[in-house]
Amino acid sequence: MKNPHPPIRILTAVPICDGHDSAINTINLELIRHGIEIIYLGYHRPARDIVRAAIQEDVRAIGISSYNGGHVEFFSEIIDLLRKSGSGHIGVFGGGGGTITKADAAAMQKGGVDRIFFAGTPLDLIMKFIAEHYGKPQKRLALGPIRDGFHSERQIAALLTAAVEDMRGRGSEILHPSSKVHTRTIGFTGPGGVGKTTLIDEIVLRYLDAFPKSRIAILSHDPSIVGRGALLGDRASMIYSQDNRVFMRSLASRGQPGGVAQGTDRCLQVLKHVKPHGHSGEFDLILVETVGIGQEAVPFQKEWVDQTVMVMGPDYGSRLQLQKIAMLDLADIVVVNKSDLAGAKTASLEIEQRLEASDQKPEIVSTIAKHHRDPGVDRLFRFLMKK
Amino acid sequence: MSILADVANQAEAHRRFVEEQVRRARQEPDFRKEVQKTFESLRTAAGSITTPTGLKLPRLALPQTDDPGEMARYLFGEGPPGGFPFVNAAYPEMYLEKSGSKHAEEPTRLFAGLGLAEDTNRRFHVLTRYQNTKRLSTAFDGPTLYGLDSDAGGVLGKIGEGGVAIDTIEDMERLYAGFALDDPLFSVSMTINAPAPIILAMYVAAAKQRFGKGIIGGLRGTIQADILKEVQAQNEIIFPLEASLKFLTDMVEYTTRQMPRWYPISISGYHIAEAGATPVQQAAYTLSNGFTYVELFRRRGLDVNQFGPRLSFFLDCGLDLEYLALARVCRKLWAIGMRDVFGAGPRAQLFRLHTQTSGRSLIAHLFKNNLTRTSIELMLACINATNSCHSNSADEPFTTPSEEYVQLAAQAQAILLEETGLFRFMTNVLSGSPGMKIVEKAVEEGILGEFGQIDQLGGVLAAIEQRYQRSQIQAAAHLYEQQIYGGVRPIIGLNRYADAEEKPHDVHVVRTPRRRKQLQIDRLEKFKKKNREKSKRALDELARVVEEGGNVFEQLIQTVEVCSLGQITERLAEIVGKYRPTV
Repeated sequence: MKNPHPPIRILTAVPICDGHDSAINTINLELIRHGIEIIYLGYHRPARDIVRAAIQEDVRAIGISSYNGGHVEFFSEIIDLLRKSGSGHIGVFGGGGGTITKADAAAMQKGGVDRIFFAGTPLDLIMKFIAEHYGKPQKRLALGPIRDGFHSERQIAALLTAAVEDMRGRGSEILHPSSKVHTRTIGFTGPGGVGKTTLIDEIVLRYLDAFPKSRIAILSHDPSIVGRGALLGDRASMIYSQDNRVFMRSLASRGQPGGVAQGTDRCLQVLKHVKPHGHSGEFDLILVETVGIGQEAVPFQKEWVDQTVMVMGPDYGSRLQLQKIAMLDLADIVVVNKSDLAGAKTASLEIEQRLEASDQKPEIVSTIAKHHRDPGVDRLFRFLMKK
Repeated sequence: MSILADVANQAEAHRRFVEEQVRRARQEPDFRKEVQKTFESLRTAAGSITTPTGLKLPRLALPQTDDPGEMARYLFGEGPPGGFPFVNAAYPEMYLEKSGSKHAEEPTRLFAGLGLAEDTNRRFHVLTRYQNTKRLSTAFDGPTLYGLDSDAGGVLGKIGEGGVAIDTIEDMERLYAGFALDDPLFSVSMTINAPAPIILAMYVAAAKQRFGKGIIGGLRGTIQADILKEVQAQNEIIFPLEASLKFLTDMVEYTTRQMPRWYPISISGYHIAEAGATPVQQAAYTLSNGFTYVELFRRRGLDVNQFGPRLSFFLDCGLDLEYLALARVCRKLWAIGMRDVFGAGPRAQLFRLHTQTSGRSLIAHLFKNNLTRTSIELMLACINATNSCHSNSADEPFTTPSEEYVQLAAQAQAILLEETGLFRFMTNVLSGSPGMKIVEKAVEEGILGEFGQIDQLGGVLAAIEQRYQRSQIQAAAHLYEQQIYGGVRPIIGLNRYADAEEKPHDVHVVRTPRRRKQLQIDRLEKFKKKNREKSKRALDELARVVEEGGNVFEQLIQTVEVCSLGQITERLAEIVGKYRPTV
């Protein structure tokens, strides 16, 4: 099913050495209310992280909220990096505190920034500007030549957009799937708030360290808000995944139940077959994170992933509730995260007993993902790498 | 049950205690006599004064009542200025004019920080030129606040912006050059949090180099170092919270034992309020953060009566009605918590308060109206008996404060406290009106309600992990914006009378020139080159102390001699990890 008007995707962030996120939080909420999907990077973000993310996420525009000064240099660094990586088509707008003078704004706009908003600008005006400038379906950019079968980040991003929006034909013209898939794909799922994102980021840290030439792709899902856009905020807390060796894409569920999105399978096909520039072949590892799921959900189809990790917290309710969780019968590994919380011991025991009844006989690992160098996460990493 | 539930229970016990005293004063003749005597002796002890217009007045305003019950309610429920639970004031005399002597200390605290260390140093010398007391309040630039060196990637535009750039102990020497650091009339305040232990270590090490080891015990000043509010609101964090708290406690342990004149933490609601919190949330989160620190330091084995008197607080004062009584309630709940939960003596029960007027309440359009806003906030802060105050400059919404408006802001304080008759003749002059008491009660209930919420989540640290404070603050901020755009919250010049014309303001923005930034980077490179070998060893030694769980602050005093701020944070992050933001 082709969506005639896919939502606008915009990336927002606060510059490096700046923690003022009050304004951007309000603007994010307002944008979401207007049906826009926000990829939010958070505060204190260097220009290179913002530009890398904008390209990977194939957004229409970058919105920057700056309060701590140094904005002239920062915005021009963003524009420079975008142009250098052939992504000058991504718009840049911004605003912020009184440190941005009228003269600064004029200079920044001359340098390629679409618009600077001053403090006190009504939100309606900002929304109107975004709708007018970034609302129209974009002219398709030529993907450019694929050198020796390798894809630039922009090309991978465009293929993923085509995959999500199901624009058949566009992907196949450059994608020649080899029959054999070399990439290992691991799916992470579990209820909301159990620490899936943190856990994946810690796995990324370990993988990048253990395999210094490897490349990782991450497909991360977040829920859309009914009738509105979505806040895709995983990047903000995935500190180790903002790295040149990691390609990350955030997908909004767009009303699809069950933990993933409509184009998830097609995106996985793209990620399993592309060869990122500067690498020896395909991605070495793909990590998929679902939306927080309910008891009956089975988000991954069999051929999608090689391994499934079910992440649980200690507060699932009573022992009886465990019986109803479908993924416990299907996962390869069950992680009990937040094992420092009260009740974690009991939870591990109850889950262990529950798993004895399942055919799969998954491994159980207790972790405290928020702890740096957590031995539980080390153990999980070893299990994941064993196969 | 967390410590907050204990505080709430003790507040309730205190309320019952007061009611009991009221009953006894009305029913038991002996007790009545005692209460009346105490009340009368307060009046006599305070004395009287004749105003320039010839009015003879008592120096302390007491409730006008014959009812011994009401006297008891005042004495036990509020306390006279300087008396438990300190609702009226932390000290007996507060802003009263000292008879016969010129006041010893100027009330101004001027926040400065720009460019390179020597630029700020020059500013400090200019600002304190005519002052007896030299109180230097230091702002740091973005890279320093985030523990980055000036040569870190992507920070060039931020060097020396909004504060001073400090990379090394050499910068620290330049920053306070020419001041006698152990002079009783000198003190320094540093507004920095995540890298606070490293920055204070640089200060101590620099002082040691200049004056010898003996100076350490004489160093006076304050460092903000409030990492909990960073995680809740201001977002300047480097390491995971647990590690940050460990480094902080190491620092507090050292200052408590070696630097008895130092205030090692300024527990701050200001940034919580500026990020959008309601006044009640500001007070509740600040107090609950404070109690969390006390618990932490005690667990380290520190004596509450030793470190307690070195805790200070920093609140925002805006235009909402709650500010009529906010600090009064804070003083009371802090005193009850410290005495009845932690067993602290009188000096450790005081909620020592620095107030800053609200930055968020200022707007750019018709900006001179900000003078009025700030003046009213100043008055609210003084009605609340703040111990010191910073008033914002009217031009802050669009520029680094210009000297003209800095001076107006500082003199507004002098006008209020020295020129008007409101505060200099009589303490308590505006306390205890029926409206104030109603607001006070509502604020107290609100704060205790928040304590209950946080307690249910498992205490302050558990609530932080569940993003409770952050989402509450964000929700309040969003509501505030909606109220402004919906017109429910009138802002003159923004959503009312907004059409008034205004000449475009002539803005002079102070920026650090490119070549100065380059100078900072060049100096840093030189420092790193000079110490290449030594820094490796020093960082290894530091790493060993961290791994072994020793006192990191004590070690840092040596590390900073040969390592830059960025080198140290990088090494520490390798060991303890980086902070993972929650959005």
